Amino acid sequence: MAPPWLDVLDETIGACVTHRRPDLEARLREKRAQQLDPKLRVLVVGESKQGKSQLVNALLNAPVCAVGDDVTTTVPTYVQHAETPSAALVRNASANGSIFHTPTERIAVPIEQVTRQASAQSQHVVRAEIGIPRALLDNGLVLIDTPGVGDTRSAHTAGTFATLIQADAVLLVSDATGELTTAEMALLKKVMEACPNVTVVVTKIDLVPSWRAVVERNRALLARAGVPAKLIPVSSALRLRAAKTGDQRLNTESGFPELLACVQRDIVASADLLARRAVAVVASSAITQLVTPLREELTAHDSSHTSATISTLQEAQRRVDELRRRSARWQNVLNDEMADLISDVEYDLRDRTRRILREVEKTYDEADPAIGWEKFEQWLEDNLNEAATTNFAWLMERAEWVAAKVARNFPVYREDLIPGSVLPDDLLEPASKLEKPKIEPFSVPQKVFTGLRGSYGGVLMFGLVTSLAGMPLINVISLGAGALFGGKSIMDESDQRLKRRQAAAKAAAQRHVDDFFVKASKDVRDSGRQIQRSLRNHFSTLAEELQETLMESARSAKRAVQDDQTERERRMREGRKELDKLVTLYKRVQALGGPTMELSA
Amino acid sequence: MTLDRVVWTMLQEARGIYQDSPRATAWLRAQAERYAEPVRIAVAGRSHIGKTTVVNALIGDEFTPQSSFVWYRGGTGPRAHVFSGPSRPHEVAIGRRGARHHVETGQFDRADRIVVEWPARTLRDVVLIDTPSDASPEQVLGDADAVLYLMRHVQDDDLRFLQSAHDHPIARTAAVHTVAVLARADEIGGGRIDALSSAKQIARRYRRDAAVQPLCQNVVSVAGLLAVAARTLREDEFQALRALASLGREELEDHLLSADRFAGERFPLPMDPAVRQALLERFGIFGVRLVTALVRQGFDSQVKLTGQLVQRSGLGELRDSIAVHFTERREVLKARSALLALDVLLRMEPRQAARKLVADLERVVASAHDFRELRLVAAVQSGRTKLPAELQTEALRLVGAEGTAPAVRLGFEYEADQRELREALLDALVRWQAQAADVHASHDHRRAAQVVVRTCEGLLPQFP
Repeated sequence: MAPPWLDVLDETIGACVTHRRPDLEARLREKRAQQLDPKLRVLVVGESKQGKSQLVNALLNAPVCAVGDDVTTTVPTYVQHAETPSAALVRNASANGSIFHTPTERIAVPIEQVTRQASAQSQHVVRAEIGIPRALLDNGLVLIDTPGVGDTRSAHTAGTFATLIQADAVLLVSDATGELTTAEMALLKKVMEACPNVTVVVTKIDLVPSWRAVVERNRALLARAGVPAKLIPVSSALRLRAAKTGDQRLNTESGFPELLACVQRDIVASADLLARRAVAVVASSAITQLVTPLREELTAHDSSHTSATISTLQEAQRRVDELRRRSARWQNVLNDEMADLISDVEYDLRDRTRRILREVEKTYDEADPAIGWEKFEQWLEDNLNEAATTNFAWLMERAEWVAAKVARNFPVYREDLIPGSVLPDDLLEPASKLEKPKIEPFSVPQKVFTGLRGSYGGVLMFGLVTSLAGMPLINVISLGAGALFGGKSIMDESDQRLKRRQAAAKAAAQRHVDDFFVKASKDVRDSGRQIQRSLRNHFSTLAEELQETLMESARSAKRAVQDDQTERERRMREGRKELDKLVTLYKRVQALGGPTMELSA
Repeated sequence: MTLDRVVWTMLQEARGIYQDSPRATAWLRAQAERYAEPVRIAVAGRSHIGKTTVVNALIGDEFTPQSSFVWYRGGTGPRAHVFSGPSRPHEVAIGRRGARHHVETGQFDRADRIVVEWPARTLRDVVLIDTPSDASPEQVLGDADAVLYLMRHVQDDDLRFLQSAHDHPIARTAAVHTVAVLARADEIGGGRIDALSSAKQIARRYRRDAAVQPLCQNVVSVAGLLAVAARTLREDEFQALRALASLGREELEDHLLSADRFAGERFPLPMDPAVRQALLERFGIFGVRLVTALVRQGFDSQVKLTGQLVQRSGLGELRDSIAVHFTERREVLKARSALLALDVLLRMEPRQAARKLVADLERVVASAHDFRELRLVAAVQSGRTKLPAELQTEALRLVGAEGTAPAVRLGFEYEADQRELREALLDALVRWQAQAADVHASHDHRRAAQVVVRTCEGLLPQFP
């Protein structure tokens, strides 16, 4: 018939499976396998250099475990019954993992060398196994000597805790040179969690005159911590010496008879009780671990599940607000930038046309418009066109820059954020034709007439003067003067005409350029405004789309929160049912005879 | 300017800047006083590890343990003051409890600290601070320039304490202040007669342990009880021990098997159980075993025995360690403490005017050659900087890992004259200059060599 604890343990394992806790399940299965094993494992633990190995040796009256002044034991050593003394190292192929479920290999070694070899290859060795014919071990008792806890080489400590789960009983070793330290008390509590059958062994009482006081203090410490552990003072050195000399009295002094009796009575004889207690402790610790998250979920209304959806909702709302706040910003940026842009571009245009005008003036200070007017006209047209093109190119460039800047100030980034073409297709209509200035040609009859008019005054003036000298009115002198005067008048007249023509040409150019400027600047302004408008349309469409998306996600988050409410209530009901089941199970576990721990529903 | 002058100047400068802050002024005054004092050594460790015992062994007199910080400093006559809270210190009497001195703290049982002035030779060079076991590392390290950390075996807790001493960046650049002591060396060997040499071997192993080495300058083993007994051995005790030694070896061994047996009823000698109990308390069972063995080996006068015990208990080695690592390095330790204190002040009360001081502080920490030497020692010992084996030993010696006296640095074990020292120094200098210029060597190697060269150059003026 299966013992009663087996059912409870199996049920607990089942609960672990339902609650998806494979770690706990593995632990319980290990415990189950170990409890079904007829062997009784007694673990010897303690901090380093407390005399653990020596205690094992003294218990068995044989130097099976090496002892030394420095850290000696590096792997757990299992000492069990065998007909002939033998020893083996158990190596592990894959380094990590539970001791139970990984493939291992056994290597037989001479019994004297087992510790040394184990230390030498402690990286790979999982444990050492020693078999020795002893009456104490006859009924399946296995003593497990462990590496010291709290040593600097943490691998040792890990090894000790790995063996802890397999223990049926634990001997916690602390030497009499000092009372239990806080580290040792912590260790004791940790051990109690995995295995409640703990006996504290105070070693080295031969060395310490005041060991009785230490034992008393330790008892008080245990009582204060509420640890129901027995405390036995022993001296391994005395025991080993007594074994050598056969001195019974010394043996009694060593305290070992009491320890052995305790081992026999409390551990070997009451294996079933031990099993029940051990199972109770492990199972209740597992159930407690299952119950904790369940209860947390039940009590916390804003538990982990809903908090995620709520945070999504808050995030969505936050982003909507953010978008509103930032859309004002991008609009401002667009307005400011476009105003700047237009005034800059206009100024540029004005600058360019003025430069052309200055060039024209310089040219017609010298040149005669009558000669090569067509050429000039062509030049002016080319220059103005070039100015307009450059200016327009600049406008386009600046407009694109503005678009990019607005995009930067836009709350989110998207691929199509910068518009492909927002610019007007054609803005360069040819400006009005340049009007040719009135050119007054200086024809030959006009020249003759002007010459004659000039020479008339000269002939008359000099004729009158020479007639006083008795000469005729028309004589050589007056005719010469007349010719001179006529020539000068022609020269003067043609000079004036040139000046007039130049002025007219300049005025015509001026007018033309002005016209051009008015037209071009109008175009620039128009296209600027057009760009602004199209940019604004583009970005506000985007913003609206975005806002809609965000609103939608906020709405769906809100819905999710509401849905959660009903879902959670259902889960709460289920959780409560589960919890009740676990609490019942826990009570059955408690009935097995484990220590009483508080677990309220 | 030498390091201690530089730091002293900085302290003075800080006093000028912080004139108007009474708290800072008080702090700086305390630091300046501390700067002129002998090295302060705190003795720390877990409870019942034997802190008071080690302090007693060093002083050579027995004091009863107290539950607060006890400072022992040199003085012309025995006096004791209790500092408690902000009030002025109270002078209290030093009485006796059995063979021990006892500071009658009376109503001040939770004093901040007790300062004992005691005329002892050890206390001329050092101030010893006995710490309570529940003191935090900050409390222990705050007032001390150096630490003797006691432990049995190096355990995680102990390493954590030692590491916390290196948390501060300045402390890290000058990791110079800790000697680890395997106290209770007698118990390490399970009370066997060869326990002490076994403990010494373990100490040697820890000295090379990668986890321990960077955290302390040295690891020594001390049997505290034995050391105190050696320093305070009384005539009556000696006579009792001689009487014990006169017993047959077998017979005595039988009765020395356990403390209970030794103090028990059925003892073969007509010796008062109270005397035997007292011997046990003073020497421990191991001590009695060792002393009787020694007496039998021929150390049969009190003087001979004392000398032998001081040596065997590890007290001699501990004193040497204190001398080499703490007393000889007093200037560096003091400078380090003062820099740490200045750093605290500059961070607690930052000022515009103190900006220069902050920069100075950083510069000194980064560039002072003494600190560079220490950093090299730490780097080599922790394996961060690797040098070929024979070079490594020499480099460590030259930069003063074994002692800062020129003869020690140059590796002379006898009294060498000036000429010899100078030649050895020049030899070393040339060799290390070659190392520093070796293009095939690694960067770390050359850096280390440069530090050694600088050390040699610094020594040169001492040998004209």
